[in-house]
Amino acid sequence: MNRSKLLEIKDLTVEYRTDDEIVYAVNSLNLSLHSGESLGLVGETGAGKSTTALSILQLVADPPGKITSGEILFEGDDLLKAKRDFLRHIRGNKISMIFQDPMTSLNPVYSVGDQIAEVIYLHEKCSKAEAQQKAADMLEMVGIPKDRYDEFPHQFSGGMKQRVVIAMSIACSPKLILADEPTTALDVTIQAQVLELMNDLKVKLNTSLLLITHDLGVVAQVCDRVAIMYAGEIVETGTVEEVFEHPKHPYTIGLFRSIPTLDEKVDRLKPITGQMPDPTNLPSGCKFHPRCPHMNEVCTKMKPAMTNVAGTHIVKCLIHEGKLDPTEIMEEVNYVR
Amino acid sequence: MNTTIIPSKNQRSEIIPEKKKKSQLVSIWKRLRKNKLAVAGLVILTFIILSAAFANALFDYNTVVIQQNAADRLQPPSAKHWLGTDELGRDILARIVHGARVSIPIAFTTILIATIVGGLIGAISGYGSKRVDNIIMRIMDIFLAIPGILLSIAIVAALGPSLRNLLIAISIANIPPFARIVRASVLSIRNEEFIEAARAIGANDLRIIFKHIIPNSMAPVIVQATLCIAGSILEIAALSFIGLGIQPPAPEWGAMLSGGRQYIRYAWWICAFPGIAIMLTILSLNLLGDGLRDALDPKLKN
Repeated sequence: MNRSKLLEIKDLTVEYRTDDEIVYAVNSLNLSLHSGESLGLVGETGAGKSTTALSILQLVADPPGKITSGEILFEGDDLLKAKRDFLRHIRGNKISMIFQDPMTSLNPVYSVGDQIAEVIYLHEKCSKAEAQQKAADMLEMVGIPKDRYDEFPHQFSGGMKQRVVIAMSIACSPKLILADEPTTALDVTIQAQVLELMNDLKVKLNTSLLLITHDLGVVAQVCDRVAIMYAGEIVETGTVEEVFEHPKHPYTIGLFRSIPTLDEKVDRLKPITGQMPDPTNLPSGCKFHPRCPHMNEVCTKMKPAMTNVAGTHIVKCLIHEGKLDPTEIMEEVNYVR
Repeated sequence: MNTTIIPSKNQRSEIIPEKKKKSQLVSIWKRLRKNKLAVAGLVILTFIILSAAFANALFDYNTVVIQQNAADRLQPPSAKHWLGTDELGRDILARIVHGARVSIPIAFTTILIATIVGGLIGAISGYGSKRVDNIIMRIMDIFLAIPGILLSIAIVAALGPSLRNLLIAISIANIPPFARIVRASVLSIRNEEFIEAARAIGANDLRIIFKHIIPNSMAPVIVQATLCIAGSILEIAALSFIGLGIQPPAPEWGAMLSGGRQYIRYAWWICAFPGIAIMLTILSLNLLGDGLRDALDPKLKN
């Protein structure tokens, strides 16, 4: 695999400013993605996953959204400083996005074929007829017969619409696809089909994928690497094997514990206690400390740094920095699923 | 649109562009045809427009329409004068038919101008930044604060009565409601996810406004336009009534209506028939507009 970095996000901070409060959506986020690789970005609702994806394309609504600091390097160019024309050239052509809800992300007044043709027409110097021709081929590629080119979005089922959206996103053979919870609005059988389709296309076109989801199962199925996000920060990242086999961060461990196992009868699920912190008023020190079972006084004061624990496995927790006495929590640290 | 068939290895998809364009118009027509009321509106409107177009063949302008004839004044409807005659002995049917040549083109033109200008202003206002929106909308509010008819009177009085100034006056008076309606629907549509999706594929602002937002906000505009054509006919009539519109002896529905006002107790036909003509035109336009809105909405297909 080519190990060159396709996308590198450094120290990204995004805020939503309203008249009476500031929502800290993304806080000093670091993330990198190699070409051909797929990364799962996992986190609770409101963890800042979608905001991160939107900032890559510079689509954060401004106002109220504001990217206050950071760099987003795509093939070496900083997208945060890029000109509008350059961004338009990138959008849909080199980086494309799959939105969460296929029901609302298609324009109701145009036929699905024409909507795919629009992407091609915008980015490839070709006639409208050629674009339409290619759009029809794209439809076939995602498993929709060409005869349905002229039909409108409301005549398609949810899964079919998501296929159309995927066809749009791959129409210009982008280097990177940002998929923002592409299967959330779909039922489980269609989810499987869509994921399989995305996997196939990814291999066929050698595209990188940033898959945003809150479904750990989907990550295991599709991704090479995973990043766990909490309150606008990445708390743990590594390959799927590393993170799934040896979760190190108390939050990640909590996430896995809350999934019921098949071979054990349980009456109650084991959720992580407490709520996501209020993004307008984030806790000091480690953002997870109010919910953390190993909370120590140090945690309320000191911000944890990214600590490399093994291979590419990085954790943002004071336990792994050796700032806490590890003996009492050895059992927890060495937790194996 | 370019419909050239491009050479391709894949034979099946070559016909797509041509087939598509035709099928869209055909399907709109099919949907419109199913709506009985809309068809009725279309038939009435076609009849009025045709009779206006061939008015000269039906009635001679100089001898029948404006020639006064004292012997025939205030005749009730009869075989000779189907709809009776007015206070100057002129045939009312002939004047209604010729009057349509004034009212209908002016009404359509003014609303076309108002729709385009108002639509553009509204789209810019709804899509642009808060400041642009504020400036444009406050100016529109000033226009809205003045009653439309008063605004028209002021403009015609300032520019002098003529057909062109009448057009300008009524168009300007009709712009603010269109700007408001288009702005309102743009505001709701700009936050739809498919607009974000359009931005994510690299479409620029102009393309988003014209290809994605405006087609989605057509429904309220079409309804407003058909209602406003009716209002425009009445405004022309009102301006003619106070002497700022169509000058006598040229026939115009509103002027005929107001001219016959004083004879209404013993010659009802002078007022009734121009009134019915106005009413039929407005009714047919509203029926057609309603049907058109439904037919243009792909979601209501079948």
